[in-house]
Amino acid sequence: MMLFSGTKGLPVVTADEAAELGTVEALAVEAPLGLIGHLRLSGGPARKGRAWLPWSLVRAVGPDAVIVRSAAEPVVAEEPDHHEILGSRVLTDRGDEHGTVKDVAFDPATGRIGTVHTTQGNVSGHRLLGLGDYALVIRAE
Amino acid sequence: MDALMLASELAKRPVVTLAGEVVAEVKDTVFDGTAGQITGFTLNGRGLLAGPLKQSLPWSSVHALGRHAVLVPGREALAEPAAVVASGEAAHGAVPGAKVLTDEGVEAGSVLDVVVAPDGRVVGFRISATEAFVHRDHGRHSVFVPRGEALAVSGRALVVPSGASHFVADDLPSFTTQVEIFAARAAASKGSKGTAAGREHL
Repeated sequence: MMLFSGTKGLPVVTADEAAELGTVEALAVEAPLGLIGHLRLSGGPARKGRAWLPWSLVRAVGPDAVIVRSAAEPVVAEEPDHHEILGSRVLTDRGDEHGTVKDVAFDPATGRIGTVHTTQGNVSGHRLLGLGDYALVIRAE
Repeated sequence: MDALMLASELAKRPVVTLAGEVVAEVKDTVFDGTAGQITGFTLNGRGLLAGPLKQSLPWSSVHALGRHAVLVPGREALAEPAAVVASGEAAHGAVPGAKVLTDEGVEAGSVLDVVVAPDGRVVGFRISATEAFVHRDHGRHSVFVPRGEALAVSGRALVVPSGASHFVADDLPSFTTQVEIFAARAAASKGSKGTAAGREHL
């Protein structure tokens, strides 16, 4: 398991060309699936501003770099509907608050969310229902 | 029993979809004609859309009423105002301020607020009680009375069972306990009547 906080700033490098595409700025969560959907990059050499990369192109997430398959235009132009999970308010589907998100542990091999660490305890990735502008909604226990 | 809430506290509570998007906030809570159940909410917008919304939220579209938010399955849960206001028009706005009478004709006070359960049922009222009703002699008291089974709502008056005066509570947590006792006693008396009727048949 790796933490979201531990991936921020890691260089994103292609396996085929060893080209650096940028650094990880954020991870976008597909909450209902309990999976990471995209990586948001910043500071790529040929790019200005932000770019998004689908998680399906990620080959490995190591302690020092994220390796992606190829630089053959892997970056999606269209920005996914992204809400930052770190710091997000947590709300159960019964309408009760459950603190805010401190960090997220995920399986770097699959992109699956293992545990969401909140200010009021840990929540399993299976309980995520949605992540929007107001809150991360989780299934009540 | 889950935490009981005051209807007045529901105002400004955000309406949030299961996808985590906030779509509105509660303006007013609307009750059915007998003030037994929430029929829905009128809504205000949030942020740039602040102010009364044309849409409302019928209770049938509510996923959960919680301590911090009203959860809805999605944005499509919001409906025309008629879905909520027309059916509850008689009770809407008439409940707070209504006169409270016991079924023995004693004035018990006036309604300050409505106590609701997370399932939308009205379980009691916060009233400004008369001395005669609470049997205390320090003037008027703000107390909670259970809705009971035999309550009637007519026009601007509420009729509560006189037995409810034994169950008045000074705060919401102790009221929660007393509602349970009241409900258990009501269920037990119904049960014994049932048994008596059964014996007559034999």
